Amino acid sequence: MDEGQTEEETAFVVEEVSKIIKESVESAIGGNAYQHSRVNQWTTSVVEQCLSHLSKLGKPFKYIVTCIIMQKNGAGLQTASTCFWDNSTDGSCAVRWENKSMYCIVSVFGLAI
Amino acid sequence: MPGMEDFHNGSEGSFNSEEADSVVKECIESVVGADDYSQNQVNKWTASIVERCLTQLMKQGKAYKYIVTCAVMQKTGAGLHTANSCYWDTTMDGSCTVRWENRTMYCVVSVFAVAIA
Repeated sequence: MDEGQTEEETAFVVEEVSKIIKESVESAIGGNAYQHSRVNQWTTSVVEQCLSHLSKLGKPFKYIVTCIIMQKNGAGLQTASTCFWDNSTDGSCAVRWENKSMYCIVSVFGLAI
Repeated sequence: MPGMEDFHNGSEGSFNSEEADSVVKECIESVVGADDYSQNQVNKWTASIVERCLTQLMKQGKAYKYIVTCAVMQKTGAGLHTANSCYWDTTMDGSCTVRWENRTMYCVVSVFAVAIA
């Protein structure tokens, strides 16, 4: 099953995924101010870009990418997640990004096939 | 082959999102149903909601890995938008998202179920 692939090529590497997320967020919304009419398009763009880069890594994983964009106006937001999976092969990574007018939280979950 | 027919039977082999939907609603109601948004309790609430959902889902005894996420937001007029995208086996895997609110807060819970090969 793992012939020809080293452990690094088949593991969930958090730093690598974190870098992909940061780049996807910057390219989709970096430099923009919160706009209600565009936020739909932004969240879709962030998740699609992340997923496309992740699948290009060619690792034997299923991926779930979630993205939350929230306007900054003093509201409190709390998120939590829990997973029932294989601790030795599966992993997740969450990135919190912000600018002057909004917060963006992206989570990636990778489940080994 | 008899084995293969069972494998393709929709209701037993794939994720039942209506069932998950009602499980999630009950869990949310039982944790925050009667409460107002509270900064010092919200941490406990989100953890409690995801744990309860996961426990109920695991009791169904299906061959799935689960990811449950929960976001609780205070109602102050701020805009909140969420999206998710999945790279998986579309015949076996599935998800369900429940949006709940009361007078002082919104709660969005998503369940992702990934079949174990």
